Amino acid sequence: MNIKKIKKRFIPMSETMLYILFSLREEQHGYGVMQHVKKLTGGRIVLGAGTIYQSLGKLATDGLISPTREIERKKLYLITKIGEQILIEEAKRIQEIYLNLEVLL
Amino acid sequence: MKNKKVFFCSAFKYVVPADYERWFEELAAACWHPVKIGQWSSVVMRFEKSEPKKYRYVVDMQPVLKKDYKQTYEEFGWEYVGQMASAHVWRMLYTDERPESFSDAPSREARNKRFIGAISVSFAIFLIAAIACVAGARFSDLASSERLQFSIAAALFFLLAILLGFVMSKVKKNIDR
Repeated sequence: MNIKKIKKRFIPMSETMLYILFSLREEQHGYGVMQHVKKLTGGRIVLGAGTIYQSLGKLATDGLISPTREIERKKLYLITKIGEQILIEEAKRIQEIYLNLEVLL
Repeated sequence: MKNKKVFFCSAFKYVVPADYERWFEELAAACWHPVKIGQWSSVVMRFEKSEPKKYRYVVDMQPVLKKDYKQTYEEFGWEYVGQMASAHVWRMLYTDERPESFSDAPSREARNKRFIGAISVSFAIFLIAAIACVAGARFSDLASSERLQFSIAAALFFLLAILLGFVMSKVKKNIDR
């Protein structure tokens, strides 16, 4: 899939998907991603098993993350170059929203 | 006092996955737990009476299972109960907050869309079968008794297709649950 199609498919990104992709800048398995996101958001977001399985599958199918290896039957994933590109694009979009709405805060 | 109970066609009564999960949970709280969930459990499901338990049940539709599906759920503490066709049933004991497997709206919608997708396959098969039977009864060179048989079959297939259409519409109305 080319980058234009991937952008159209993933941007704007759901908060869940964004945090999962962000967490995978470091190699992690599904449960590790959940713990990382929980810590990052101070317990506000606790990802469920079904959400993680679905999201990792979608991100891997479209090449935003890729499986790296298995440890004790746990599959580890890492963000790809395309995933990083999408993550940065999404961060810029969120920054623009933040700058436009900052006056409200 | 009876310690066993049998439920017929439970999956057809609670067609919205969230309602089916609540049904399992209410039975568990009332001491009833499924003996085994297998291929035909949507038609006949046996329950045994034991202690009341506060379970969170999850019904997940996964037509194609990846290698790490069960592994992911088990890592999160879910217990596999069984599989009815492509529907997988999980449960987890809890005390405080009811745990979620689908923790955001997009993933709940995706789960429900998989249900609709699976039902739509059967819907299409019944509809095609009904049309074929109508065509057979109307255009082929058959005796009147055979035409009648085709017509009855067409009516049955149409009825099943209508029922499945109703199920899909109900799940669609509850897509975010």
